[in-house]
Amino acid sequence: MINKKFLNKIGDSRIAGIFSKTGLGLVAVLAIVGCNGGENQNSSSSGLEQATKNGAIVTIEEQADGSYKILEETPSSSTRVILREQNGNERILTQEEIDKIIQEESKKIDSGTSQLTNPTGAGLSLGETILASAAGAILGSWIGSKLFNNQNYQSQQRTSYKTPQAYERSQNSFNRNNATNAGRSGFYSPNNNTPNTTNTQNRQNNSNTYGG
Amino acid sequence: MKITEVEALSNEDLENLGLEWHTDIDDTPYISNEIIEVTEDEAQRYYDAANELYDMYVEAGQYVIDNDLFFELGIPFNLVEAIKMSWEEEVHWHLYGRFDFAGGLDGKPIKLLEFNADTPTMLYESAIIQWALLKKNGFDESMQFNSLYESLSDNFKRIITLGDDISNFDFVYEGWKILFSSIQGSIEEERSVKLLEVIAREAGFNTSFCYAHEAQLDEHNGLSFNGDNYEFWFKLIPWESIAVDEPDLAMLITTMIRNKNTIFLNPAYTLMFQSKRMMKILWDLFPNHPLLLENSYEMLDKKQVKKHAFGREGESVSILSSSGEILTKSNGNYENYPELYQEFAELNSHNGSFYQANVFYAYEACALGFRKGGEILNNMSKFVSHRII
Repeated sequence: MINKKFLNKIGDSRIAGIFSKTGLGLVAVLAIVGCNGGENQNSSSSGLEQATKNGAIVTIEEQADGSYKILEETPSSSTRVILREQNGNERILTQEEIDKIIQEESKKIDSGTSQLTNPTGAGLSLGETILASAAGAILGSWIGSKLFNNQNYQSQQRTSYKTPQAYERSQNSFNRNNATNAGRSGFYSPNNNTPNTTNTQNRQNNSNTYGG
Repeated sequence: MKITEVEALSNEDLENLGLEWHTDIDDTPYISNEIIEVTEDEAQRYYDAANELYDMYVEAGQYVIDNDLFFELGIPFNLVEAIKMSWEEEVHWHLYGRFDFAGGLDGKPIKLLEFNADTPTMLYESAIIQWALLKKNGFDESMQFNSLYESLSDNFKRIITLGDDISNFDFVYEGWKILFSSIQGSIEEERSVKLLEVIAREAGFNTSFCYAHEAQLDEHNGLSFNGDNYEFWFKLIPWESIAVDEPDLAMLITTMIRNKNTIFLNPAYTLMFQSKRMMKILWDLFPNHPLLLENSYEMLDKKQVKKHAFGREGESVSILSSSGEILTKSNGNYENYPELYQEFAELNSHNGSFYQANVFYAYEACALGFRKGGEILNNMSKFVSHRII
């Protein structure tokens, strides 16, 4: 018996649905043209995910207005919160202090008064800052479900760092265990001699194509 | 050959479908308005041929590794370790390739011209455009040897499930992400890669796209882009180009494979398949096989085609007489790669044009398409659709 496995299956498959919506159904397109990586939903959480698996040391600095910012955080086998107070003192918070602070934060989240989930623009408290840090992902993991998928939390989390550089450093430190090796990019950088590619109506000369 | 001329897909149709490279540099349409009529038996034979040849390639690949024949294939030394590692570990799964054939119609035997195993294009045209042409002209669009979209989707799942059965994909998939990349500057390549990304995402993967130069590679921590790590990198960049043009990248990739932090698609071993000199190995292992032409590293004593191990787009190809006289020649940049002499095979022809059959392979043969041009098909060849009658 002839094996007809090879015969076209588009008519039966999911993309038939996509195509058939408009006559000739020219629409697979939407997905294709619009897929510039903008749908990446996990971009802000990879550091957190990493930290949750391992551990983190976070340094939090008290600001002049009494709010707090993350100064630095690094991956670690243990998890610690270091607090730098306005008067210049630096100390490690005890487990009891942390437990108490996070319990209070949990109540604020439930009652809708946490800056993390209902931001008003005010600065973050110490507890909110801890929860916004990678260490918070570990210490507060028991409240994670109501926090970490919250969009406000995700944007607040980013702003809780003292500087963009602190954020980048933090992300990078979780993505690269070996800080001395930063990895490489820039292979096949388009050079300045590349022909103007704004005219996309034409197929290109083969001198700069790589498919075959 | 039976060919029907039909109403063409307009440039607007094609652009709506995402195919913007519809016009060649001489302002002629790249997508032909011809439809080649193929019988079910002919389609079946193309399907069977590609499947059989792939198995032969796998056997030949093992033979190359066992006998250390990388030099013979023209493979740069700095990729040999990556090839061996990717061959030994099953997680380096071959996503897709494309066989180019002479014959197969009008009773002519199917003969393998070459296997584009690493970075084949024509994906968009084969998967979507020829389907749309049937639909536009009121033909039964299911009568086409074309399950490319679905087969690719299934084969993406196999890079996780690693076998015929993909039913447990949702259960075993742990969120491993695929980063898709092309080199900036070619809309054709970028769109082909993005089509693959769409298919992978539909299959259930987390994916993203960036240009090759934006990807961050680290020997200890793997691949990342915008701060996110990715377990797979699909790069539409030929391995031999990486070896020669970006040797640091070749070294880095080898280390990353060794450190098991990243899987590169198509796998490095596809470079063995990609080498046209591999066809001489096939001829040694399967002498006089009906799907093969005679292939040699030395000049033959019959009408023959001289090409080079990693030539592309019909460049640096000569057709020679039995005495070695040049009958037709294309210029090109590939003459530094070692040559292969292949017995000449007549392409399918109609009204003075030649038609080469192309069969995609993704775990099994999954789509037929044709290219039309002169005796040596080059980058000015046209894409031609087919339907099964």
